[in-house]
Amino acid sequence: MDGQIALAVEGVAKSYGATVAIERLDLALRAGEVHALLGENGAGKSTLVKVLSGVVQPDAGAMTIAGTSFRPRTLTESRAGGVATAFQELSLLPNLTVAENLMLPRMPRGLFGLASGRAARSDATGILHRYGLARIEATALVGALSLADRQRLEIVRAMEHATRVLVLDEPTAALSEVDWLFGLVRQATARGVAVLYISHRLAEVRALCGRATVLRNGRSIATVDLAGASDADIFEMMVGRAVRSDRHARRATSTGPLAMEAAGLAGGGLKDATFALRKGEVLAVAALEGQGQRDLFRMLAGLASPSAGTIRVDGEAVGPRSPKAALKAGGGVAYLPEERKTEGILSSLTTAGNITLPVAGRIARGGFVWGALEERAAAGVAASVDLAERYLSFPIADLSGGNQQKALLARTLLTGARTLLLFDPTRGVDVGTKQSIYSAIRRFAEDGGSVLFYSSELPEIIDLADRCLVLYGGRIFAEHSGDALEEQRLVTSLVGHRGADATAAPAALAVPA
Amino acid sequence: MSAATNTAAGPATTRSQSGLVRGLTSGAAIVALLYVVLYALYGLWEPRALSASTFTSLVNNAAPLAIAAAGETLVVLTRGFDLSVAGVVSLTNVFMAVYPLEGPGGAVLSLLGCCAIGAVVGAVNGWLVAVLRLQTIAATLGTMIVCQGLALVVLDAPGGMVAEWVSYELTDRLFGVVPVSGLVVLAVALVWLAFSRTDTGIGLYAVGADEHAAMLSGVSVRRIRFVAFVGAGMLYGVAGFMLSAQTATGNPNAGAPFLMLVFAAVALGGTSLSGGRGGLVGSIIGAGSLMLLQKVLFSGGVSSFYTGIFQGFVLIAAILFGRAVPRLLGAIR
Amino acid sequence: MSVSRPVSGGFDAAADTRRSGGIGRETINGIVVFALSILLILGSRFVSPALGSWSQVLTVLTLASFLVVLAFGQGLVILVGGLDLSIPALITIGGVLSATWVGAGNPDAWYLLPAILGVCCLCGAFNGFGVTVLKIPPFIMTMATSIILASVALGYTSGTPRGASPDVLTALMKSTWLGVPTVVFFVVVFAVAGWVVQSRTVLGRRLYAVGANPEAARVAGVSVGAVTMTAYVVSAACAGFVGMMLVGYANGATLRMGDNYMLPSIAAVVIGGSSILGGRGSFVGTVGGAVLLTTLGTVISAIGLEQGWRTVIEGGIIVAALFFLREELFARLRRPGRG
Repeated sequence: MDGQIALAVEGVAKSYGATVAIERLDLALRAGEVHALLGENGAGKSTLVKVLSGVVQPDAGAMTIAGTSFRPRTLTESRAGGVATAFQELSLLPNLTVAENLMLPRMPRGLFGLASGRAARSDATGILHRYGLARIEATALVGALSLADRQRLEIVRAMEHATRVLVLDEPTAALSEVDWLFGLVRQATARGVAVLYISHRLAEVRALCGRATVLRNGRSIATVDLAGASDADIFEMMVGRAVRSDRHARRATSTGPLAMEAAGLAGGGLKDATFALRKGEVLAVAALEGQGQRDLFRMLAGLASPSAGTIRVDGEAVGPRSPKAALKAGGGVAYLPEERKTEGILSSLTTAGNITLPVAGRIARGGFVWGALEERAAAGVAASVDLAERYLSFPIADLSGGNQQKALLARTLLTGARTLLLFDPTRGVDVGTKQSIYSAIRRFAEDGGSVLFYSSELPEIIDLADRCLVLYGGRIFAEHSGDALEEQRLVTSLVGHRGADATAAPAALAVPA
Repeated sequence: MSAATNTAAGPATTRSQSGLVRGLTSGAAIVALLYVVLYALYGLWEPRALSASTFTSLVNNAAPLAIAAAGETLVVLTRGFDLSVAGVVSLTNVFMAVYPLEGPGGAVLSLLGCCAIGAVVGAVNGWLVAVLRLQTIAATLGTMIVCQGLALVVLDAPGGMVAEWVSYELTDRLFGVVPVSGLVVLAVALVWLAFSRTDTGIGLYAVGADEHAAMLSGVSVRRIRFVAFVGAGMLYGVAGFMLSAQTATGNPNAGAPFLMLVFAAVALGGTSLSGGRGGLVGSIIGAGSLMLLQKVLFSGGVSSFYTGIFQGFVLIAAILFGRAVPRLLGAIR
Repeated sequence: MSVSRPVSGGFDAAADTRRSGGIGRETINGIVVFALSILLILGSRFVSPALGSWSQVLTVLTLASFLVVLAFGQGLVILVGGLDLSIPALITIGGVLSATWVGAGNPDAWYLLPAILGVCCLCGAFNGFGVTVLKIPPFIMTMATSIILASVALGYTSGTPRGASPDVLTALMKSTWLGVPTVVFFVVVFAVAGWVVQSRTVLGRRLYAVGANPEAARVAGVSVGAVTMTAYVVSAACAGFVGMMLVGYANGATLRMGDNYMLPSIAAVVIGGSSILGGRGSFVGTVGGAVLLTTLGTVISAIGLEQGWRTVIEGGIIVAALFFLREELFARLRRPGRG
C-alpha cells in the first residue's frame, strides 16, 4: 500500500488579483502516510487547503488522485474525489444539530422523500460511536458544544468523507490532548488514506508524520524525511534564515512593587484566583483548555464582571468596568484578545488606524485625526514589534496573520499601559513573528512594565516567563518559578497531579472538583 | 501540550435540550400566546368577537400580510432583507384588477399569473444577490422601485375591478365556519413544514447562520439564496392575489404599507433578523397578531390617531419578551 | 482557530476577493458617482435644450440639499451597522413642530427651533437606547419609533397640521445670495463639515471602528454604546432639520412630508459606495449618491415621461449603479499586499 501516490499536486499556482498566494507548488502524498505541511503564515498553506477542497480553483498546474485528474470546483466535487478537509476555522453551523451538521448537505430520506430526523439521528449516533464520541448527543445543537467538541466534530466529519485524502488544518488548535486524534489518524492511514497534516506545533508533527513538505512565500521549498531533519533545519527552510536561539536568563522572582493583585476572583469557569503581579515581571498562566483562564483574562481586562473577589491595579481597587476603564486604572491595563479576527482587528481600518484607535483622542490635533498623523504616531511602536512601516497605510485585512498580531501587540504597547494582559499572543503565528513578539515582551518588562500572559505552548512559557501559575479546575493549582519552571513539572500540575516538589499555591489547597 | 494525557476528553458531556423546552421557547409559541391573549381582550370588549363572521373578517384581513410575511421569512432566514415585497404586491394587485378572469378556472389562472410575476421578480433578486453578490437591501430596493413603477404603468390611479368570483369566494366561509382565506394560509404553512424538511429547507438555516461554514459543509449557497428569493417572490404573488380578493379593486400603491408591517410580523414571529433562526409559522401568527391588535385597540376605545403608539411599543415589548422567556425557562431548568 | 467566522462578511463567500482596500475604493467610488451626475446633466442637453443649464444645476443642488442632510445622519447609522427607518416620522415631527410652535411672522420665537431639534435628538436617543441598551435589532427599533412618532404627530395635529413657515426657514430656503440660492451655500458647507466629521475626527474614527467590529472596538477601549447612541441622535437631528427645511421650502407641514425620503436616504448612502453592513464608506460618496439621485429625478421628470416609467428608470438606475460599483470591479485596483 505504501509508496503508491494518492494525491499529486504539480505546479499549482493561485493569485488573487495582484496578490500571489501560491507561486508554484508541488506535493505528492503516498497512500497511508501522514504528510506534514509546514510554513509560516502567508506561505500558501491555507490557499492549498482551499484548492484541494474546491473552494477556489487554481490558475495553473494539475492535480491527480490515484492517477486520475482532480479539479474540484465545489466542496461536494472534492468530496466525490475522496478528499475531505477539517477546516481550521471550523465549518459547523451552530444553529443546527450535531446530526444535521454531520449529514450536510444531504439528509437521509424518510417518508415522502422528506428528510428524516430519526434516520439522521441514528446515522449520526453511529458515526459518533465509531469515533469514540458517544458522549456527544446527536440531537444537541452544535452551538451548545464546547470549542474542543466542535473541533472534534469537524475532524469526525472530515474522516467520514475522506476515502483517499484527509486534510487536517490545525486540528489541535482547540484540543489540549492529542491521543484521540492520533489514534483516529492511525486508523485512517491503516485504511490507506493519505493524511495532509498542517500544524504549527512541531512536536506533534514529529510524533505523527513521516515526511514534511515545507512552503515559503508561496513555493514548495523541499520535501524532507522528518527523522533526518533537525528542528533548526526545518525552521531555516521555513523562514529562509537561521533562527536566533537567545534563551534569556530567567530572572529571580522579582521583588518589585505590586502592579496588579487579584484576591478571591471568581466568575464563569473561574472559581478562586488569588495572585499578584509585580512590576517588571513576566507572569505566565498555563492551563489545559477550559480551566477558567479565559474568564480570568476577560475579568482583568474589564470585559466581564467578577461574581466575587477584588482586583487592584497599582494599589487602587477597581470595580465592574469596561476595557476603556481598564486602560485608565492605575498605570493602565491593556488587553490583547484571544480571537484576532472577532475581537482584535478592525478590518476596514488601516493598520495605523488599528494601532492608534485606543489613543485616537490623545494623538488628535484639536479633535482632528488623519492618516498621516496616525502613521506618524504608530511608527515608533511598529518598529518595536518589527512591523514594517510600509504596512501602516494598508488596510489591516491585507496583512498576514502574523503581521496583524504584531499590530495588535503594538496597539497595547502604544496605549502606554504599564500592565499588559496577553492571551495566547503567538497563537497561529509563524516562527519569525514569534521571535519579534517575544523580544517586544521582554523589552517591555525590562523597562519596568508587567505582563500576564496565557499560552497554550509550554516551551513558550518556559522560554518567556519569570514565573508561572497553573490553573486547574478554575483555581490556581500550582506556581512554578526559577529552576522549577520546566516542562515535566508543568505537565504534571496541568493535569492536576501534585508533584513532589511543586510549590503549592495557597489557593489551591482544596482538591479541585 | 502534547504530553498532556487524556483528561480533557471527559468534562464536557453535552446535554440536549428537551423537545418541550425548545418548543415552548420557539418564537411561534410565544407569538401564539400573544395572539390568544389579544383575542381574549377582544372577546372581553367586543361581544361579537367570537362569532364566525368576525373571525372570518379578521382572518381575511390578516391573510395577505401573513402570506407576504411568510415569504419574507424565507429571505430573512438566509440573513437577507427583501424589500421587493411592496413592489410585487402592488404589481399583482393591479394585474388582478386590470385583467380580471372570471370563474374558478380564471381564479386558478390568475393565481398562477401572480405566482409567475412573483417568481420572475424573485429570480431577478436572486440573480442580483446570489450571482452578482449585491447587498440584499440595496438590490431589492431597486427591484421594488422598478415593480412600483411597472404597477403605475399598468394602472396609473386606483381603480379597476377584481373578478367577482375571486372577491366573493375567497372571502367567504366554508360550511359557514371555516374562512377560505384561512385555508390558503394553512396551505402555505403546510407547504413550508414539508419544505423545511428538505435539503434546501435545512440549507436556508445553514446559510443564514454562517454562509462560509455552510459552503465548507458542501451546501450550495448560491442555489439556496436563489431558491429563497424565488420562493419569497411567489408567496408575495399569492399575497397580492389574496389582497385583491379583499379589496376587490386595484391600487398601484397597494403594497406600500406592507413594507414595514411585513418585517414587524417576521420579528414578532420570533425569526431572527440576523438569520438562521425562526420559521414561517411564527411570521404568519405574527401578522395575525398585528392585525388583531388594531381591532383590540379600536374596541378598547383607543382613538385611531394613537393606535400607532401601542403598535410600536407592542413590537418592542414582544422582542424583549421573546428574548426573556427562553432565559427564564433556562434558569428554571 | 476562530470558533466560527466573524459575521462581518455578509454575502461574500470568497473572503479573499473582498479584501479590497477600503480607502482607495471609496474615493474612486465618490468620483465615479459625481462624474455620473455631471455626465447626466450635460447629457440631458441633448434631450432638451432647456436642460443642462446653470439654473438647472442650482435647482438640482437645492433639491439635493434635503437628501444630503438626511443621508449624513442615515450614513452614520449605517456606518455603525444599523439602519434608521424613523427618518420619515422625524421629518414630520420637525416640520410640524416648527410650523405650529414657531410659525410665520413670529421672529421672537426663533429659539424654539433649536428646542425642536432637541426634541428630535431625544427621539434619536430613544432609538439609541433601544439598540444599545435593550439590544433590539436596529431595523425593528427604528421602525417601532417611526410608528410611534407618526402616531404622535397624527394625534398632536388631529390629522391636519396648521401653521406656516417661520421666517428664518423661508429665508434659508428661498433667498439667494450672489444669484445663488442660500441653501446651496449651506449644503456645500454642510457636505464639507460632514466629510470632516466622518473622516477626519476622533468621533469619526470611533464610528468606523464600531461599524467594522463592535466587539473588537470595545476591546480597544471604545465606548461602543455611546458612539452608537451618537449616530442615532445625529441622524434624528438631521431628519428633524430636513423637516424644517421642507417647511421653509413648501411653506407648511403635512403629516406625510417625510414619506418619500426614507428609501432615497438609504439609496444615496448605498449608491455612494458604503457597505450596508457598516464599517465602510465615505461621505463624499454619499453626497455624490444624493446628487446623482436628485439629478436623475429632475432629468427624467423634465423629459416628460409618465410617472410609472420614471419610477421604473429610477429603480433600474439604482440596480445599475450597484452593479457597476460592485466590489469585484474595485478588487483589481487594490494595492498588492500579502495574501
